[in-house]
Amino acid sequence: MIDVVDLSKRFGSTTAVDHLGFQVRPGVVTGFLGPNGSGKSTTMRCMLELDRPDTGSTSFGGRRYRDLDRPLHEVGALLDAGYVHPGRSGRNHLRWLAASNGIARSRVDEVLELVGLSTAAGQRVRTYSLGMRQRLGLAGVLLGEPETVILDEPANGLDPEGIRWIRDMLSWLASQGRTVLVSSHQLSEIALIADDLVVIGRGRLIEQSTVTEFVARHAERWVRVKSPGVADLQAPVAAAGGAITSVDDTTLDIRNLDAATVGELAARHGVVLHELSPQTGSLEDAFLKVTADSVEFHSGQPGPAGGAA
Amino acid sequence: MIDLLRSEQIKLRTVVMHWVLAVIALAFPLVITLLTSFFNGDDDGWSARSLVEVLTGTSFLSVLLIAVIAAASVTGEFGFGTIRPTFTATPRRSRVVIAKAIVLVVLALEIQITVVVVGWFAGSAIAEGRGATMNLSTVEAGTNALGGTVILAALMAVVGLGLGLLVRSTPAAVAALILWPLLVENLLGGLLSLIFDSSGLAAWMPFRAGFTMATLDPFDGPSRLVAGLYFAGVAAALLAVGTWSVNRRDA
Repeated sequence: MIDVVDLSKRFGSTTAVDHLGFQVRPGVVTGFLGPNGSGKSTTMRCMLELDRPDTGSTSFGGRRYRDLDRPLHEVGALLDAGYVHPGRSGRNHLRWLAASNGIARSRVDEVLELVGLSTAAGQRVRTYSLGMRQRLGLAGVLLGEPETVILDEPANGLDPEGIRWIRDMLSWLASQGRTVLVSSHQLSEIALIADDLVVIGRGRLIEQSTVTEFVARHAERWVRVKSPGVADLQAPVAAAGGAITSVDDTTLDIRNLDAATVGELAARHGVVLHELSPQTGSLEDAFLKVTADSVEFHSGQPGPAGGAA
Repeated sequence: MIDLLRSEQIKLRTVVMHWVLAVIALAFPLVITLLTSFFNGDDDGWSARSLVEVLTGTSFLSVLLIAVIAAASVTGEFGFGTIRPTFTATPRRSRVVIAKAIVLVVLALEIQITVVVVGWFAGSAIAEGRGATMNLSTVEAGTNALGGTVILAALMAVVGLGLGLLVRSTPAAVAALILWPLLVENLLGGLLSLIFDSSGLAAWMPFRAGFTMATLDPFDGPSRLVAGLYFAGVAAALLAVGTWSVNRRDA
């Protein structure tokens, strides 16, 4: 169990984290989401007391991070796979990390095997790809078999096989009753692996809930209809208050009405339906809607260079 | 603490640059001393005193390199970001600093004791083989000066570590370690002497005081012991400020 209470961190005049509080429960994967610059990484650094927070504190199972005697046995964290000396071999990187917490050298080879880096363990890290560095970072997380795992963008640079591996690893850790907090920009990944969500924007908590609740509350819902007689259906649907978007000659998306109502309208007007399905927006849609006001860096729309007059 | 010492030792020994600098720190005074002994051994003027002078003189480069290794061992951690996993693994940062200091001082002692012992005995054997008579007890303050280089090496490791913790940048730390003793102290010492009309002030420049420990002909100013204690105080103060800074600032 992680308990973050009233955490704030300022850098000069910029407030990176603003009185943020949330809980992460054991046994599930919790996704930590927020737009770029929303303070996710700073929050994670403050949680581990690498950055000194201006207010607030974090406890792991009731204890502050600094009070953990051999922290790698309790909390495994991967904040950035780049925090490695490029001239050291992967094995030597893990050896110093293991030694600092009294972890046996044999465990280093075990975790190297576990992350699939055994054959590259003796090579210098500068020869590693980003994906290999992520795997090395994860090996470091697993060294002490920690109860709590904190990962910042662990899927960065991984190939599809690696992404699936991370997903399975996180699910397995959570299934063992461990506490797992993972930030990611890949919302489709989070939708697959996370049960809970902590969503922040501009350093403040926007929402903490389960993924299902979050999508249900914020994602758009509509009804998709396929029919050879869509033209005959448009007028009655509009009259009943439905907002129609035409997808193609035989397909309509209808908002503001539920599937049952649309079905009854079709029956009443003798329109044959080939499909009548309720649709829900993705986690990505819900996330973009919820964080629209908190986005620090807005993108332009794709279009021709120079801008049309 | 044993675990932490082992961890810091692995870190120190698994970076090639540390090895390169340590080998130069070890080899430079030995090669110069042995070559000088070989080529001057049959010279009437070559004596035990000459050998000690060459050894202490060349050791100045060794102790500077030891300070550079010490500084780089911590600035490298900030540069490559490994300081974050380090402090995640050991959140009580002062313990990390103490472990680093112990490991670096041990390395400094290993290097400089080897330089002094091998330099003296091998240099003497070569010179005696070529007809010179070598006896350390005939050299006034010879043992003190050679022992001084060993203590100076240990203190320079502490200075390098303290400076590294403060500036966090390898180029800045190396520049400070080279320029301060070789340039800044001379300029500042001369300037202070002019302003206050006293040559005594220059003797209290920290590195000059440190080097006083390790030379046969001490500069004007405090005695070898007082200068050594003063430099040890400066090294301890620098490490204390560095530790305070690393505890206070974000990693």
